[in-house]
Amino acid sequence: MSVLYFPGCTLKNKAENFDQSFVSSMAGLGVDMKELDRWNCCGTVFSMASDDLMSQLAPIRNLLRAEQQGADALLAPCSMCYNTLARAKHFVAQEPDRLEKLHSFMYKEQGDYKGAVDVVHPLAYLRDSIGFDLVAKKVSRPLEGLKLGAYYGCLLTRPSIVSIDDPQKPEVMDKLINALGAESVYFEQRTECCGSYQTLTNLAVVANRTNMIIRSARTSGAQALVTSCPLCAYNLDQMQREARKHHSDLSPMPVFYFTELMALALGQDWKSEWTELHEVDPAGLLKEHGLD
Amino acid sequence: MMATETKMVSMVVMGESFRVPEGSTIMSALEYSGFQLTTGVGCREGYCGACGTLYREHGDYKLKGGLACQTVVSDGMHIAQIPFVPADKPSYDLEELTPDEDSFKKIYPEIFRCVACNTCTKICPQDIQVMDYIQCIMRGDIATAADLSFDCLRCGLCALRCPAELVQYNAATLARRLYGRYLAKPAVRLDRMVEDIKAGKYDEEIESLKTMEHEELKDRYYKREVRTK
Amino acid sequence: MYPESMQESIRKVEATRAKRVQVAKAGQPIVKPMSDEERQDVLKRFHPDYQDDARRPVRWGPNESEPLTADVADVLETYPRIVPERYDLSNPDFQTDVLIIGAGSAGFSAALLAQQAGVKVTLATKLRLGDANSMMAQGGIQAAVREDDSPAIHYLDVIGGGHFDNKPELVQALVSEAPGAIAWLRQLGVMFDQDDEGKLKTKPGGGTSRPRMLSARDYTGAAICRTLRDEVQNHKDIDVLEHMSAVELIKDTKGAVAGAVFYHLLTREHYTVRAKATILATGGFGRLHIKNFETTNHYGATGDGLVLAYRVGAKLAFMDSVQYHPTGAVFPPQILGFLCTEKLRGMGGQPVNANGDLFVYPLEPRDVESASFIREATERGNGVKTPSGHVGVWLDTPVIEILNGKGAIEKNLPAMLRQYKRFDVDIRTEPIIVYPTLHYQNGGVEIDATTATSVPGLFAAGEVSGGVHGRNRLMGNSQLDIIVFGRRAGMHAAEYAKKTQVGDLTLEHVNQVIETIEALNVPREKISPVMLPDYIPEHVKKRQLDTVRKGNIV
Repeated sequence: MSVLYFPGCTLKNKAENFDQSFVSSMAGLGVDMKELDRWNCCGTVFSMASDDLMSQLAPIRNLLRAEQQGADALLAPCSMCYNTLARAKHFVAQEPDRLEKLHSFMYKEQGDYKGAVDVVHPLAYLRDSIGFDLVAKKVSRPLEGLKLGAYYGCLLTRPSIVSIDDPQKPEVMDKLINALGAESVYFEQRTECCGSYQTLTNLAVVANRTNMIIRSARTSGAQALVTSCPLCAYNLDQMQREARKHHSDLSPMPVFYFTELMALALGQDWKSEWTELHEVDPAGLLKEHGLD
Repeated sequence: MMATETKMVSMVVMGESFRVPEGSTIMSALEYSGFQLTTGVGCREGYCGACGTLYREHGDYKLKGGLACQTVVSDGMHIAQIPFVPADKPSYDLEELTPDEDSFKKIYPEIFRCVACNTCTKICPQDIQVMDYIQCIMRGDIATAADLSFDCLRCGLCALRCPAELVQYNAATLARRLYGRYLAKPAVRLDRMVEDIKAGKYDEEIESLKTMEHEELKDRYYKREVRTK
Repeated sequence: MYPESMQESIRKVEATRAKRVQVAKAGQPIVKPMSDEERQDVLKRFHPDYQDDARRPVRWGPNESEPLTADVADVLETYPRIVPERYDLSNPDFQTDVLIIGAGSAGFSAALLAQQAGVKVTLATKLRLGDANSMMAQGGIQAAVREDDSPAIHYLDVIGGGHFDNKPELVQALVSEAPGAIAWLRQLGVMFDQDDEGKLKTKPGGGTSRPRMLSARDYTGAAICRTLRDEVQNHKDIDVLEHMSAVELIKDTKGAVAGAVFYHLLTREHYTVRAKATILATGGFGRLHIKNFETTNHYGATGDGLVLAYRVGAKLAFMDSVQYHPTGAVFPPQILGFLCTEKLRGMGGQPVNANGDLFVYPLEPRDVESASFIREATERGNGVKTPSGHVGVWLDTPVIEILNGKGAIEKNLPAMLRQYKRFDVDIRTEPIIVYPTLHYQNGGVEIDATTATSVPGLFAAGEVSGGVHGRNRLMGNSQLDIIVFGRRAGMHAAEYAKKTQVGDLTLEHVNQVIETIEALNVPREKISPVMLPDYIPEHVKKRQLDTVRKGNIV
């Protein structure tokens, strides 16, 4: 299967650690993967705002270009990008009319979208195409002793039409955590909303959710959280400082992208630049477990 | 040789039809029709972007963009000149900026509203990948944005057609300036030459050339070594 | 797409191409450069400046009885547009320290430096900011930056190219400040072409003894001009007056220039500006269509600055010479006279005749190259004819792609490629037809190294000025001129403004001009500044029964 990588904007600036760790992990797993040439914004926010066809141009163009570049699947590690692209694919698949209208608008894009390329989240790709057994075999530095809470948020599993797992009881990220040699910890709030874009206008709402989610994870024994969404990472990690204004006894908890942990377990070194992109420094925790 | 009479075609200017010689550019056709241009006209060679024009060709619903000085009239073409696209130009101090997307968030925050519809690219008379360079800016890839937007003439048609109301060409100008100022490689020899000149390294030689007798100067000139590589 | 009638000649060009490429690759000049005697011979016999009717003595003013380019003498012997008594000069509409007329790269550079010096700056332009020849320059800007080059070598090239007539102190300033000017532009964010190591790319140009032409693809002028414009617009304390065409300079009772009268091209109002110092940066005269030549110039390049300066008594220099760019487009007819950048030859493009034969060293100074093209097409009868009856010689552009590798044209000459592609000619595989086209005003208002003219309070920079290039400018030196002398003008005019007190304003000199012109029996309808060229056809004018025209302006 030929796969291309759709990074999305955030992975190219505020979540470079996500981008780099994903690319190196996939290389570590022997996956031949290139970045989609000439990708544009996945189309998030706008495409979810309404059924306006115009806003479906961005995700559909990405899929069209992936097809033109010969891919069977487009890997989108960012939950938001994955969700937007996957929903767009379904949106046009539902009614051929919609695609026809989009094509008539995209007459300069040279070629039509055929709906052949799959939008795949890397967690599903690891499960279905590589297999967690093989991942476990490739691990050269098991993350032994680490207790990690898999935080799914909303976008990986909702709406159900694009869910990569059982929306009520997802386990794909837990399986990855275990395959990497760490221990996954179940906690109540793992599929609760992080507060999403409320972070732009309503800090208190997000601060409360951050507090709630982190407490829930800690109570269940987690030392850190794992996510696949830069917005969740922002709200859970960067917003801890804000959360502490309202809940002064909230002690810090590091938040990882699943790819960072995967890169570590596959033998890649932790990069100091990645630390700079974390609000809560994970160095102490990693050192404690001999992973620095 | 074409001794026959010039064939005429019709060009519809703001709804009114004019007969103009076949093969005329929109600009020369306007002048042929009696308009004295004081706006929507500039270099007349496709370098200044003053003469952006929207048009539809006979029997085609597509709205197209061109430069009046570079676009040949087709029979039945409807045109409207766009001499100016309303857009503010914010002030900024290049020395206080960083070559990344954060500068754009401060100065041109609206570009992050891009819905990637690609209308800008479709209308660009220079065939620039306008939407792609905006996307590059959004993700902080200023170098590619500067490269892709290099041939922009700032005719403004992209901004006029944009449903998200961006002013793409302003953002492109900033991207190129940020690249030139911060991301372009240092020009080592240039800096050294500037220092040498400041230190007076060439003063004596130039002074002697300045005061040299005409014949001697001429002799020096014609005997000078010419290198082309 | 070339018509069938031209295909036979194209086949001849194709037939000789392989051999010509071989010669070029060997590294020797493909045709030997001319000696002084050969240059003089071809110039005298074929350059338009040397034709009998090219020059005539001007009949009044600072250059009285000096032979000037005939069309220039005509424009100087005209009536002013205005009636001086109508203006209330005791109450000017705008007041400023430094008034800059013209918003190309010279005007922009002057504005930035004057603003930096802490004086009030007003920048007025006939059309919009950046509507200037500056924006159109393609090939490059000269600056000695290579190991084997120096300002002194640059100096020798400039003065030899100008036939040793240039003012030495101006050439010295030009070449010595060139690298500094480039550094300044880079600081402002102009993207010059660099190689992988960061070295600025250098290409040879006509009459240069080292590859010295720096470039920004083939949009060099635009890259510079649009950056300067953006920077000017960052300084909101620089007052900008657009669509304001200068019609006359104002003097004060002490005899110094102290501002100007403007005509707003859209609202048809007149405005007066009082200024402590005035900089002319109005550019050249291509749109006067000297000797009916097609031109590469901007719509607004009508030589207004020459008239304004001459009427206040400023002396002109070298206004007997005109630069014809050797490679103006001849086909297709829609782009007749358009510039085909010298970079085409700098990158190896070869001029060949209708038989496909080389006939001239491709990088002679422009006047010599142009005269050689004319000789080939006329005396020697080896020109290529187009269906519209125009004649030219081939410029074999596919050679560029062969010599520099596939993709070289798209990467380095995107404007040229696009220009021809619009009319279905692919310059990567097909040659183009070229012939000399009116390009540049070599002379102008005489300046010294501080850009001061012979009249106090009046400064000039760029194409409107005279002395830097003598009687022939080399490629890449006009872009350099406008930056170096634009900056100088801004600095020196600001300095001058700081220590000047303006006396009472007057337009009495305009009355004297009117009297003088009357005495020369010049027809009343001859007026200037020309402002804009006249492209309205006669049959339309005949129907515009009530239309009042002042010169070319409705």
